[in-house]
Amino acid sequence: MIDHKTFLVARRELVENVRTKTFWIGIFMLPLIYGIAIGVNILLKDAKQVRAYAVLDLSGDGRLDAAIQQRAATTDLLKVSGDEADGSTEADGGTEAAQRAERARQWFESLPQEHPLRDLVARLAAAGVSFDAASLRDGEGLNALPPDARKVLMGWFRDVAGDPEKVQALRSLASDISLGRYRRVSLQELGIDPDAQDVERQLNAKIQDETLFAYFVLPEDPVDSDQGARYVSNNLTDNDLRQWYEQRATEVVRDLRVRKLGLSEDDARSILKSFDFRKTKVSATGEAEDVEVGDQAASFAPVAFVYLLWIAVFTAAQMLLTNTVEEKSNRLIEVLLSSVSPLQLMTGKVLGIAATGLTIVLSWVLSSIVGVQFVPDDSPLGGGTLTAIIGDPLYLGSFVFYFLAGYLLYGAILVALGSVCSSLKEAQNLMQPIFILLIIPLVAMIFVVQEPNGTVARILTYVPFFTPFLMMNRAGGPPPTWEYVASTLLILVSLWVAFRAAAKVFRIGILMTGKPPKPAEILRWLRAPIGTITPKRIDVAH
Amino acid sequence: MESALVLDGLTKRFGDFVAVDDLSLRVPRGSIYGFIGPNGAGKTTTIRMVMSIFYPDQGTITVLGDSNPEAVKDRLGYLPEEKGLYKTMKVHEIVSYFGQLKGLDRRTADDRARELLVRYGLGDWLDKKCQALSKGMGQKVQLLGTILHGPELVILDEPFSGLDPVNMDVMRDTILDMRKEGRTVIFSTHVMTQAEEICDYVMMIHRSRKVLDGTIAQVKAQHGRGIRLAFDGDGSAVFDDLQRQGLLASHRDHGREAELFPAAGVADQQVLKALVDRVVVRRFDVSEISLHEVFVRTVKKAGQPIAEEEIEAAKEGLR
Repeated sequence: MIDHKTFLVARRELVENVRTKTFWIGIFMLPLIYGIAIGVNILLKDAKQVRAYAVLDLSGDGRLDAAIQQRAATTDLLKVSGDEADGSTEADGGTEAAQRAERARQWFESLPQEHPLRDLVARLAAAGVSFDAASLRDGEGLNALPPDARKVLMGWFRDVAGDPEKVQALRSLASDISLGRYRRVSLQELGIDPDAQDVERQLNAKIQDETLFAYFVLPEDPVDSDQGARYVSNNLTDNDLRQWYEQRATEVVRDLRVRKLGLSEDDARSILKSFDFRKTKVSATGEAEDVEVGDQAASFAPVAFVYLLWIAVFTAAQMLLTNTVEEKSNRLIEVLLSSVSPLQLMTGKVLGIAATGLTIVLSWVLSSIVGVQFVPDDSPLGGGTLTAIIGDPLYLGSFVFYFLAGYLLYGAILVALGSVCSSLKEAQNLMQPIFILLIIPLVAMIFVVQEPNGTVARILTYVPFFTPFLMMNRAGGPPPTWEYVASTLLILVSLWVAFRAAAKVFRIGILMTGKPPKPAEILRWLRAPIGTITPKRIDVAH
Repeated sequence: MESALVLDGLTKRFGDFVAVDDLSLRVPRGSIYGFIGPNGAGKTTTIRMVMSIFYPDQGTITVLGDSNPEAVKDRLGYLPEEKGLYKTMKVHEIVSYFGQLKGLDRRTADDRARELLVRYGLGDWLDKKCQALSKGMGQKVQLLGTILHGPELVILDEPFSGLDPVNMDVMRDTILDMRKEGRTVIFSTHVMTQAEEICDYVMMIHRSRKVLDGTIAQVKAQHGRGIRLAFDGDGSAVFDDLQRQGLLASHRDHGREAELFPAAGVADQQVLKALVDRVVVRRFDVSEISLHEVFVRTVKKAGQPIAEEEIEAAKEGLR
């Protein structure tokens, strides 16, 4: 199929396309998105516009506020000391515990010299306390620690929390060191007398002149009800601070309520314990197994891939159409046809643009593999999940394969379509039905992701126009092997049919002038054997 | 003499419309052959069949001794009437590309393209994009793309249309050079003076059928002689008078020149005598009939050319 002349045509297409802006926009689109994601991340970290907040505690002598602060600090410490050194929080057998301890030690050794955690360990050692992260775990927080250890921890934490650089160092380990983006300021710092009558009015003024981002009002009797508890801010879209403080406050108030009711600690813990379902799935061997990060990624990754696939297929096929119409309206066709056969010309064009599209798609794959190395785990994109998706050959492999399949199918249709049109406008009119066809997999995308192996997904998969998109869409399932085999066969058969039909239409249509033929006439061309038919209407006026 | 192209009983239909009807022809090697005929007569269709862009419905085509025109495609050069260039391609690249499509390897095609472009005065444009070319330069570039691979048979469809006089000369010289190099050139035109100037042979096609063919001399011989007159004055009234007086059998007034055909038995001198009293005679030239006159007479004899509306109607009826 690919003889020398076909190759020449294809090479010209590729070289021409590589010189266009569209091509380079395509190449740089994804790296640019990655770059922005990384850049935004760095900006957020470095420029970190710190927002000040204050707390107005009406509960009397600031008891509640202090308790909430301590609770927040405890949570931070838990995160810093426990979770990152070792992902698992389940206490297992002795050997595993030993392995974990060893891993934790190695992890600790790997920390830089000036890391605040080293400082903490040093302080604890100086105070003669042995610090065991495991003892911090079980819901009790710092209360479980001996009083002197608690003092050391709190002292260390106060120092750390005051130093943005240290907070940053800790933030890379855990997600919230008292929510580092926000800085707690005291009323005194704001120049407000806490006992003044118009404290709230003064605070409101601070919010208006933007020295203050928000302030909390703790009611007089929080244990009884949350009546009077308020969060005051002019920014109602950024809810991180409110949610974070609310959660800490809830924990403290719960503790107080438990104490007020005189419940035993065990009873209280039992009541407060939430009821969680562990996410599991059934593996290929039929066993139940834990859901990993990659599996969770699977739930939304296909949507992103289908979308990219759609853009890629649509752009490449459209390029082919534009190109064909341009060649035709430029009157180049006859010169070309005096050297190459219509089939060679068509195949060359389709392959040339396939090569162009494939270059772009492969550059995306490559930049994803490289780019994901630079996306930090705590990026807004979700670094961990991203790594899991990129690392899974199912996604990238499917992406490249289904791009080729989708492009070739729509390419065949559009090149035939382009061949019968004399102007881009006509082509665009004729393209509308195709476009509507292409919209369907986009519309179905969300349903299919929710039910990758459901009836709708299955039925749509076996409509040749949708097969590439649907199979990509269902990758999160993933479909059983036989479906991969069946759909691939279907793709190959439909490509064969599409190309034979396209070749017939192309060799007649490409020489036509005037209005595009009616669908009935095109059908007549399709039914006749190659070479026996010429258009009824061709420019004979020479 | 060996033939570059032999057509035998060539017929092409588009639906019910017969575009080329039973056309037979021999084009000797090394000659310049003109295809003449009114618009819509079937010239382009014939050429497209030779270039295997269309398949004939009946008849055979033998090109350069091969009965399968597709097999010798690379030894032919074709410049269609409707021609264009890739706008964003560089000038030397597109010439080289056309050469490569005809089987030249990349190196040779590149070298030759540059050499030819320089020779044709486009040296400064080698690396410019085609969209920067003027119309005349664009046509030159297309011509170079057609002849880069040194084709044995070159077919030019209306090569002179749209050219300014300078570029017309370039085109004519190129055609004559090709004959000098032993190549065969076929070109179609409906400007008779060009055909008369350049062609060794002409074939006239009219209403899809061949109505004339042969050397220019043979074609003209069937029509006798005429007087070519260059004059100042009100020619048409004078010629009409002369015709009424029985001095002229017919005449063709071109404005400041005319072709006059004396009636039987009338001496050329008598016509001259009658003319000098009425108009200023700048040139009086007794010679063979012009190709233009042959064309017009043939069309008149064979019936009006197919009118554009008629072609349109035929096309519409087919849909």
